[in-house]
Amino acid sequence: MTDNSGALSIDFIAGFTIFLIAFIWVLSMIPGLLIGLQAFTIDYDAVAYRTGVMLVEDPGWPASPPWESQQNFSVTRFGLAVSRETPNILSQEKVDRFFANTSEYGTFAYPDDYHQRIIFGDYPYRFNISIFDMERNQRLFLSQSPPLPEGYGYIRRLVKIKGLTNATIDESYISSHPYINSDNASHHEFSILVNNSGLNMQKNLSYEIDPARESITVNITDIRSTLFNQFNAGSVNITLTQINIYKVDAGIMTLVRTFNTPYIDQNSSTTQPPVEVNNNVSLKFTPAFFDILNAGSSPVYINLSFNLSTGGYPGLSYQDHFLNNTWSSPFNYDYNPANVTQPRLRDAMVEVAIW
Amino acid sequence: MVKNDNGQLYTIEGFAAALIMVMTAYLVVNATSVYTAGDTHINDMQLEALGSDALKMMDVAPNRTDAETPLQGIIRTDNYAGFTTMLLNYTNESGSGPRHDIQFNASYTCRDSNNLTHRIQFANSRELTGGEHTVRATKWVIVNKPVCLMVGQDRAVLLEVLLWRD
Repeated sequence: MTDNSGALSIDFIAGFTIFLIAFIWVLSMIPGLLIGLQAFTIDYDAVAYRTGVMLVEDPGWPASPPWESQQNFSVTRFGLAVSRETPNILSQEKVDRFFANTSEYGTFAYPDDYHQRIIFGDYPYRFNISIFDMERNQRLFLSQSPPLPEGYGYIRRLVKIKGLTNATIDESYISSHPYINSDNASHHEFSILVNNSGLNMQKNLSYEIDPARESITVNITDIRSTLFNQFNAGSVNITLTQINIYKVDAGIMTLVRTFNTPYIDQNSSTTQPPVEVNNNVSLKFTPAFFDILNAGSSPVYINLSFNLSTGGYPGLSYQDHFLNNTWSSPFNYDYNPANVTQPRLRDAMVEVAIW
Repeated sequence: MVKNDNGQLYTIEGFAAALIMVMTAYLVVNATSVYTAGDTHINDMQLEALGSDALKMMDVAPNRTDAETPLQGIIRTDNYAGFTTMLLNYTNESGSGPRHDIQFNASYTCRDSNNLTHRIQFANSRELTGGEHTVRATKWVIVNKPVCLMVGQDRAVLLEVLLWRD
């Protein structure tokens, strides 16, 4: 054939095929090249940082009464710090409420309730927030959050959790104080003083005892041992008849309410007085309880009334010396470590992951 | 035979073209895997926040009745080992996130009676070679110690910690 100008040579086909294969391969790499240029990783880290700052440096909103003492719909913004002045010092009450460790007010739904109150924005971020209590070796996290994917934004913040306070009035404490100085009687009163003006004297909020912000607990144990006549002690019925709360305003003491949820003899549920007590009474006052009192800096007296009897409930009146500080001074819930276990700051770590 | 084959692509040119494209792609891929300024900034920010938090927490007394914070005690007694243990405990505490293999170099600075600054090398987990990409975390600490040739009384020293990842 003399005219073959329209035919392809083998050489050309081989060369063109190699070129085409390499071209397609390089073309297929282009989407991969752009992955490194997308801004999502940076965005996630920034959102994680912002969320971490709000959690550990802000007390949340509403501030007073604090959000952890409010119903879900009243909570505008989460924040775990004790106050704005104490960044990285977290409130135990806020931590418990945030991680749904308490059931008093119900729990928040993941992710919507948390998204509206701490993540913010329209973008449907997924997130995982956890806190690791180093001293207790305990990890709290949002239980419904999904597992972490690749490429999430992350921040960790080191914090301290301000522990709660409590007081234990036991046999040794009672015997070293004038708390059994009553007459031989069947009716006895024991008073506990929460002197708010004295408690407010502590200006460092990291160590302040504030019953309107943090629960306080008073455990009275070994009650039967305070009966003077120990020979009959086993057969005496001790009845906690009432717990009255008094507030002193402008020197006038007024009965403001009763307290109906004591824990009796280490029961896991509360019992409303009057109730028979074997040995122990435990009183846990939530911030909401003190908040309703609106005590401010007014002293609050918690007055426990006991009746003694024999021969079964209600039985016959029985007279003896018993736990009673009517003629001495009330038990003072204050900053004396001998009276009250003081707030202790525990090491912890907050982690926020966003994707 | 084709009489005029000018401009025709042959096998050897095909190979050459393929090689050039692959080499170009390789260079581009390597170039984009270098950290952009934005990425390094985020990592720096994370490490700086962690270091700053660690120093802050070391300077908080667990109890109201404590006479001094752990950090004050460490500087007052020149407890280098205590500082190393405590700082690395805080920074390397493992969580669900990436592992933090963090090294540090700490020093503190104060002024003497002539208002001259003195820098005192304090503790480190590894010597600085100059090649590390470090971030700086600082904390003013009030200590009662005869530092900078002055009699012992409460004074502020600036604790400065350089942090980097292995």
